[in-house]
Amino acid sequence: MLTLLRRYGTLIGFAAILLFFWISLPDTFMTARNWLNISQQMSMLIVVAAGMTIVMVMGDFDLSVGSMASLAGIVVAVMFTFDLPIWAAVSLALMVGLAGGAINGVLISVIGILPFVATLATLTMLSGLAFVVSGGKTISGRVIPEGFSGFARGGLSLGEWNGVAIALPNLTLVAIVIVALVWVLLEQTTFGRRLYAIGGNIEAAHLSGVAVRKLKLIAFALTGSTAALAGIMYASRVASANPTQGSSLMLNAIAGVFLGSTFSEHGEPRILGTILGVLILGILDNGLTQLSVDSYVRQILVGGIIILAVSTSSLTKHLRA
Amino acid sequence: MPLLTLKDVTKAYGGVPALKGVDMDIAPGEIHALMGENGAGKSTLIKILAGVVAPDRADIRFDNEPVSIGNPQSAHRLGLRFIHQEFNVVPALSVAENIFLGRAYPRRGGFLVDWRALNQAARTTLHRLGISHIDPRRALGSLTLGDQMLVRISSAFVGEAGTPARLYVLDEPTASLSRDESQRLFTVLDELRNSGASVLYVSHRLDEIMSICDKATVIRDGRSVDTGLIADITHDDLVTLMIGRRVEEAYPPRVGVPSTTVMFSAQSLAIRGGRSLTFDVKAGEILGIAGLANVGQRNVLRTLFGDISAAGGAMLLGDAPYRPKSPADAWRTGIGYVPRERRSEGLILSRPIFENASLPHLAQQSLWRSFLTPRREQRSAVSQGELVRLKAAGPKQRVRELSGGNQQKVVFAKALAGEVQLLLLDEPTRGVDVGAKFDIYTIIREMAARGMGVVLVSSDLPELLGMADRIAVMREGAITDIINAADTDEEQLLNLCYGRTTG
Amino acid sequence: MTQRNRTLRTFLATTALVATGLAATGALAQSKVAVITPYLAQPGTQFYVEAFEAAAKDKDWDVNVIDTAGDVAAVISRIEDMVTQNVDAIVLNVDPSQVSAGLQAAAEAGIPVVGMDAGSDPLLVTNVTSNGYAMAAETSTYVADRIDGEGNVVMFVFEAFPPVQVRSVVADAVFGNFPDINILDRVTPDVSDGGIADSRAKMEAILAANPEPGSIKAVWAAWDQPALGALQAIEAAGRDNEGIVITGIDANPQAREAIESGGNFEATVAQDFKGIGSTAADVVSRILAGEEIKQGVVYVPTKLVTIANAMAD
Repeated sequence: MLTLLRRYGTLIGFAAILLFFWISLPDTFMTARNWLNISQQMSMLIVVAAGMTIVMVMGDFDLSVGSMASLAGIVVAVMFTFDLPIWAAVSLALMVGLAGGAINGVLISVIGILPFVATLATLTMLSGLAFVVSGGKTISGRVIPEGFSGFARGGLSLGEWNGVAIALPNLTLVAIVIVALVWVLLEQTTFGRRLYAIGGNIEAAHLSGVAVRKLKLIAFALTGSTAALAGIMYASRVASANPTQGSSLMLNAIAGVFLGSTFSEHGEPRILGTILGVLILGILDNGLTQLSVDSYVRQILVGGIIILAVSTSSLTKHLRA
Repeated sequence: MPLLTLKDVTKAYGGVPALKGVDMDIAPGEIHALMGENGAGKSTLIKILAGVVAPDRADIRFDNEPVSIGNPQSAHRLGLRFIHQEFNVVPALSVAENIFLGRAYPRRGGFLVDWRALNQAARTTLHRLGISHIDPRRALGSLTLGDQMLVRISSAFVGEAGTPARLYVLDEPTASLSRDESQRLFTVLDELRNSGASVLYVSHRLDEIMSICDKATVIRDGRSVDTGLIADITHDDLVTLMIGRRVEEAYPPRVGVPSTTVMFSAQSLAIRGGRSLTFDVKAGEILGIAGLANVGQRNVLRTLFGDISAAGGAMLLGDAPYRPKSPADAWRTGIGYVPRERRSEGLILSRPIFENASLPHLAQQSLWRSFLTPRREQRSAVSQGELVRLKAAGPKQRVRELSGGNQQKVVFAKALAGEVQLLLLDEPTRGVDVGAKFDIYTIIREMAARGMGVVLVSSDLPELLGMADRIAVMREGAITDIINAADTDEEQLLNLCYGRTTG
Repeated sequence: MTQRNRTLRTFLATTALVATGLAATGALAQSKVAVITPYLAQPGTQFYVEAFEAAAKDKDWDVNVIDTAGDVAAVISRIEDMVTQNVDAIVLNVDPSQVSAGLQAAAEAGIPVVGMDAGSDPLLVTNVTSNGYAMAAETSTYVADRIDGEGNVVMFVFEAFPPVQVRSVVADAVFGNFPDINILDRVTPDVSDGGIADSRAKMEAILAANPEPGSIKAVWAAWDQPALGALQAIEAAGRDNEGIVITGIDANPQAREAIESGGNFEATVAQDFKGIGSTAADVVSRILAGEEIKQGVVYVPTKLVTIANAMAD
């Protein structure tokens, strides 16, 4: 019973949440339309959380992803004001993400600053940079090309369902691609195996021939890039850019990875767990909004569920030991 | 009348018995050894005494009064002191402050701490325990591990008002101590005994137990098998009691003679923080490195392994120059390393056996050096496991779940998985019980027999004499002698370590 | 195993019970209206939403107020969720151009969306807001009246921001209609620190250039911050007894205080936030009744604030 609760506690909880909303919202919750909505709503968070998983596998974390997302959105929008083509603006913003992430990597692995301190500092700097580049304003309206904002509204047609046209949203597609890439990276390559080794015991990994510094640097650069990609997706969805719009992503991404790690047998972050963790957050938002539950009550519930999941998995571990 | 009596102590974890009935008497003013292989139940017994684990059944008497030790606080109130724990010490504070941490510091005018008086009191306490080399004004964290332990004992000796220390429990205290430090510890234990307190001494090292303990209790497989006076028992009897069978030889026999081909050589290799060294290792040879603690053996291995860069000189592997820039380089070139601390340096406890075994050679075992092939890794881990006589549920078992000896075998399996030519061993049998020790010696022999060169750093002189072909003696960062193991004995080796000429 | 089954069954039973309860409340034939804003924590927004809720209570609507705590993308998500719920109407308080993905979803589902001080957009049925033209007309005519239609006037404007730009257009027209009013200077202050500090600096320069008492009759500002800056400059220069008339727009608390103290700052215009909320509710009820709303913007009257009523509301 106890092992079962420890191993599958969060999964049972996840199923219970699904069941609860299904029964409470019989007509609207378990519909293709609603799930496509949820997938699109969560796509940006999924991308950030997937990137966050890469560094959390090593036992580190990156607090700067939110401001990196904001900055990337601003960079894209500002490039549009210079009439750059979409591909150029997007590539430039992704490059900013890669560079910002690499700076985090250098601070942490080469200089040896704690991830909390280093990424807290870059969080502040990137956020300031976003304000400087944008002049503190929201960039919106005609400067944002239709092709850019249209991307977030478009999708891959899936035919009809109950007489309504259904499409797989482009943003969801991007998220799926990123998750697939991160899955291959973490679960199927020597790179991922070595990151897990670093997370398990950094000194033993080093003495076993793992190039710890190089891998950390690459991992943080990847996290920075995914954060930038999420920021670009966000800007596309809201057809505008604002220097603070990514700020809610960081805490939710860390929460998603923590929730997700309670799915895995040994409590380590795994990409598929992260996706389930993020989905729990998204389903709660979606379902509770539909049930007209007050937004602030929703926040309390989300926090409570994270505490419940993490404490169940650690409590059952204690009891067993 | 005994100080502490244990009768029929029984404990099972989730149905698996750990203690099946242990009896033990400890008299006042006695140093009592607790012995047994890893997994025999020593640590469970100590946890029960410390109040950390509740026994299923036990009759515990203290001063002949039945007591129950429900939590660490009640153990403390009885006067039990567990020296291996980091109790009541603050590395940033001075030795004197740490010794008197549980008591009121002397004050001047009832207000300012009287440092002079405090340091003087600390000095007096240290002297009473026969410790004269520690300055009470130094920060605790700046002392060696051995001296820190002495300070912890002094602190327990002073204690808090009202709860005097009656029984000191030391669990493997000499595991990370040098010979000198161990010797000082024994002096202190002697003084404790003279003061009327008792000591429960847990150790694998038979010679230590033979020389300092009064009585010994041996437990095997969760039961106490014998208790007796040390004076009445021999070294071999103790071993037999512990493992339940007679061991003919402590070391596996040498097979053949090492070749004369030099496979590794260091030429005026300048070690950072040490001097420059010249030595060579022949194919199939075990080169021992002897020396007192911290005279630079570790840095020699780390330099050979590429973790520390050499300050000068050259290394040759075969005929090719060898200049490792990192451990990754070393593994690639065919240098394997078994570090001193297997849990913190050798293994990733949370990961399965096969991931640990393949980690140094991951690229070779992967598709296009990038994509994992877990089946191949597991097959390879199984065959390496057989070579090192690993006892495990399978290649996917987490290393954390293995016993200490089996964990160390996984560390050796890492070195076997690739094409290692030179194997560097740093205290490979530390904290390993007698049975597993023999297995590890056998592995080392087999590796040498396959033509590998082995460098064996050990502070255990009998181990060096039993295993090595030649022994290099290090003193103050330099190699002072290289002798054939067959031509020397423990006494001569020890004298060389101290730099004394033999008479 | 049996133990687990029992817990599971108890759990299912409880869930079903709660669910039935919730479904029952939803089953009443009420109109469902969602109010979605990222800015609920801001005072102005709270006024609209409270007034809207009060009006909705009278109409017996089921109102769901959703705050996304500054997250604009989440506004789109919540619009989508409300479309899934098939609510009867959505009221929005965010720049519509940033949430057009959500507006499109609502339009496809035929759910009307009403802006509450949101900005205009073809995908909104209408936007309920204050009339910027009218507000500027209130203060500029006040100035013209107080200086008897003659003398030098300093204007503080900000053309880059459309809602403020319309204010100066009206003021220009009003002052232009008085032949004896001369626009001494048209200043665009740097607003990066709120606008007060730079406006004060600019005003100090203008005062220094026009040292004669009576050479400046009035300061007209398109919003309150520059008016407050100008007031500080005039007081610091010791020219607060020349009768220079200052007006602002928006009626922020600092401006109301300045007006109440009876100094040079004489008038500003208050938006009727509560009125915006209740008017939005009115508009929604007209839409629900089947009426077609012809206006793209529904203006709510504003109120001139002077010493007579500065602290009244």
